Amino acid sequence: MTVITKKGEIADAYVRADTLETAFEADGIPLIPASLVDEYVVAKPGTDFGLSVPGSMPIEDLVPYLAQASLIAIEFPGFSDGRGFSLARRVKREGFAGRLRASGPLIADQFTDALQCGFDEVELPETMTNRQPVQQWMEAKDTITDFYQSGYGEGLSILEKRRAARKGARP
Amino acid sequence: MYRYDEFDERFVRERVAQFRGQVERRLEGSLTEDEFKPLRLKNGLYLQLHAYMLRIAVPYGTLNSRQLRQLAHIAETYDKGYGHFTTRQNLQFNWPKLKDVPDILDLLADVEMHCIQTSGNCIRNVTADQFAGVAKDEVEDPRPTAELLRQWSSLHPEFVWLPRKFKIAVTGAEHDRAAIKVHDIGLKLKRNAAGEVGYEVIVGGGLGRTPMIGKVVRDFLPKEELLAYLEAIMRVYNSEGRRDNKYKARVKILVHETGEEEFRARVEEEYAKLDGPTINAPEEEVERIAAYFAPPAYEDLAEDSATLDGARASDPALDRFVEQNGFAHKQPGYIALTIALKEIGAVPGDMSADQMRAFADIAEKYSFDEFRVTHSQNLVLPHVKKDDLPAVYAALKEAGLASANAGLITDIIACPGLDYCALATAKSIPIAQDIAKTFADPDRQKAIGDLPIKISGCINACGHHHVGAIGILGLEKGGRENYQITIGGDATEHAALGERLGPGIDAGDVPGAIEAVVETYLAEKQGSESFIETVRRTGAEPFKAGFTAFIEARAAAQSEAAE
Amino acid sequence: MAKEHRAGSKVRGDKLPAILMANHLLEGDVVFLADGGWTLDPSGAKIAHDAETAAAMEAEGKAAAAANAVVDPYLVPVDLTTTGLPVARHFRDAMRQKGPSVHPDMGKQAEYAPIR
Ligand code: HEM
Ligand code: SF4
Repeated sequence: MTVITKKGEIADAYVRADTLETAFEADGIPLIPASLVDEYVVAKPGTDFGLSVPGSMPIEDLVPYLAQASLIAIEFPGFSDGRGFSLARRVKREGFAGRLRASGPLIADQFTDALQCGFDEVELPETMTNRQPVQQWMEAKDTITDFYQSGYGEGLSILEKRRAARKGARP
Repeated sequence: MYRYDEFDERFVRERVAQFRGQVERRLEGSLTEDEFKPLRLKNGLYLQLHAYMLRIAVPYGTLNSRQLRQLAHIAETYDKGYGHFTTRQNLQFNWPKLKDVPDILDLLADVEMHCIQTSGNCIRNVTADQFAGVAKDEVEDPRPTAELLRQWSSLHPEFVWLPRKFKIAVTGAEHDRAAIKVHDIGLKLKRNAAGEVGYEVIVGGGLGRTPMIGKVVRDFLPKEELLAYLEAIMRVYNSEGRRDNKYKARVKILVHETGEEEFRARVEEEYAKLDGPTINAPEEEVERIAAYFAPPAYEDLAEDSATLDGARASDPALDRFVEQNGFAHKQPGYIALTIALKEIGAVPGDMSADQMRAFADIAEKYSFDEFRVTHSQNLVLPHVKKDDLPAVYAALKEAGLASANAGLITDIIACPGLDYCALATAKSIPIAQDIAKTFADPDRQKAIGDLPIKISGCINACGHHHVGAIGILGLEKGGRENYQITIGGDATEHAALGERLGPGIDAGDVPGAIEAVVETYLAEKQGSESFIETVRRTGAEPFKAGFTAFIEARAAAQSEAAE
Repeated sequence: MAKEHRAGSKVRGDKLPAILMANHLLEGDVVFLADGGWTLDPSGAKIAHDAETAAAMEAEGKAAAAANAVVDPYLVPVDLTTTGLPVARHFRDAMRQKGPSVHPDMGKQAEYAPIR
């Protein structure tokens, strides 16, 4: 697995754990599926963990854990399944303050979309990074510099920039 | 007409560079075919039966002469000298090479054009009434809305990986010429009781395998709330639309399966959570866009033109052309003209590079340098001075563009069908050609009157057969091409889906069957009823009887011939 | 349009003899597997008369697709003319051998000798 942020590849502090036992023994912060989370927080109250959820998960089911998990990994079953983008938006809207990860066989061409929708990082299987190494991701994210949609990403949208330019031009 | 500013310009240039890079990464193996395919589709590039096909966006069907000349240049340099206008107001080239596509995209960018999202599972090119800004029954021009949506939907970070394609149409008129009830979202500009302008929002219409008429989810949406409300609809669809079966993935199925009430409730719930002001377009921006669509500098003219009246009196062909292809303009002394790309025997929607150039000259000289593409695969000169009409007619005739059959039985819509399309189950264009030849006589066409025939080469319904007054669907049956005939379809504000007349028939029998249907109409017709009005009154029964009689007569003749 | 899928040939029953058709990735043209490479000429297609040859041709097609040379290779059942040339049995595949019926001046029919 390779984890990429907009600054480049980073070391993964999280370790995937599919059972409670492996979660307890994890050499790092455990990244656990939603099915384990209730038991986990009872067994290890107050400890750090990441939560892995499918892109199809309704936001209502996720809300109770947003204050507890330090990372939410939204799983993309395939790169063309865009549900995770909408879930990311809803997670951010609920005020989630931890790291938001897109996990699955995404392609470099989607990196900007992921960042704009609020993801901090992308976790890729090796099969993907063999074909599309980190450098392609860094290049892909800079190919389009401006966007029309307001409310996505950090900068101003094209519509907002036009307005700002007009305001600035006025005496 | 809208003109790109520096942001629009940079955006399409960067998009071209992005695609150039994607092609390179495909060739070197960074992208597999499965990964590349959706990327090229989102840039309008298909792989068809014989070659690639490139679909160029004509946003809300509006073009100028410079753009058309560039399209002619591309057609000659990179294709086989022609283009094909589609029912989604776009233009397709049927023979480009993948290696040339980035260069073609650059040439398009030179004239403020692109192929962004003309295919793929994303929000497609937005369509609008072809008589926008012309029609008398217009509350407000739909083009500023369509342009705002073009910008908003382009490379939307959240909505480019939808369950399925998504089509939006906008109309500002009472009479619906944009088929808003058979789109994923249809928007109708209207006034509320207080006189404010807003939208009626219709969701979940569509044709294809499971045709459906859209449902009104918001009776009146204040104009400034548009983008936030659309974001709510799109988010519900993106999250909940089916992804397990591509035939059930359109929003029409989601609306149908969740139920109209529940769907509306989910959209409203999502909408209530949105921070509208951070999403909606700033008012100045809406005004900035609208300013581009201000009426052109019309002259003050009398409604009637003595020049035109005189010319019509002495030239019956011109008279017929004006009567059939003219459309009343709200500005006195002006008229809009439909240019039917439907010469008898031609391929519906095809236009040669020479015709493009000739037509560009005409639009430049006589129509404020502007023209439109219609969803009937025709063109429109929106603002022609009546005084100029004789000269315009002569120029059109010279270019082979003066077919006086707009709306008549020979003005047929046909999808590319098996002649080009990889998904086709039967030919479509040759059927249109045969029918047109059968009804070639202008007097016969006139006697029959308005009768839109629409033909699709497979169940995907690109030819809109469900909403043809006569619809023809080509299928494969037992290794042969087989055609089903429907009647009573309608894409306007009276939206209705056609009803089948009987079993499918062979290609060779289609013109005869259409004649039988037309005979039934002429026999049943009361007063000045059009075909569709008669069908609405009588129902399909008499037509089924006429059709059945035709089939039986054919079968009898065949078995006789076999003996 | 999501999966603009290209079904294999729709012929039912006996699948032999057969040829292998694909599209050239970079050009888009229909190409036919020949002895030692691909040809644009429908008459030059290699014909499989037995299942082993057909399987080997199919494998060759897959390898060419994996090497990013062609797209969508598939076996096309054919009938043979008196001179031994292959004519696709399904009308859709036959259209690909010839070009659009509405434009006899375009496609294979315009560039190569007709299959008789
Ligand atoms: C030539 C290549 C084309 C291919 C491969 C193709 C493919 C498809 C497919 C798969 C659908 C069904 C989508 C669905 O309902 O889920 C569809 C629908 C449609 N296509 Fe195409 N198409 C092609 C050309 C065209 C052309 C030339 C036109 C216009 C003349 C067109 C306009 C439409 C329209 C209006 C629909 C209606 C379906 C709806 O809105 O529900 N397409 N096409
Ligand atoms: S209706 Fe079918 S045959 Fe016609 S263009 Fe669409 S997909 Fe192709």
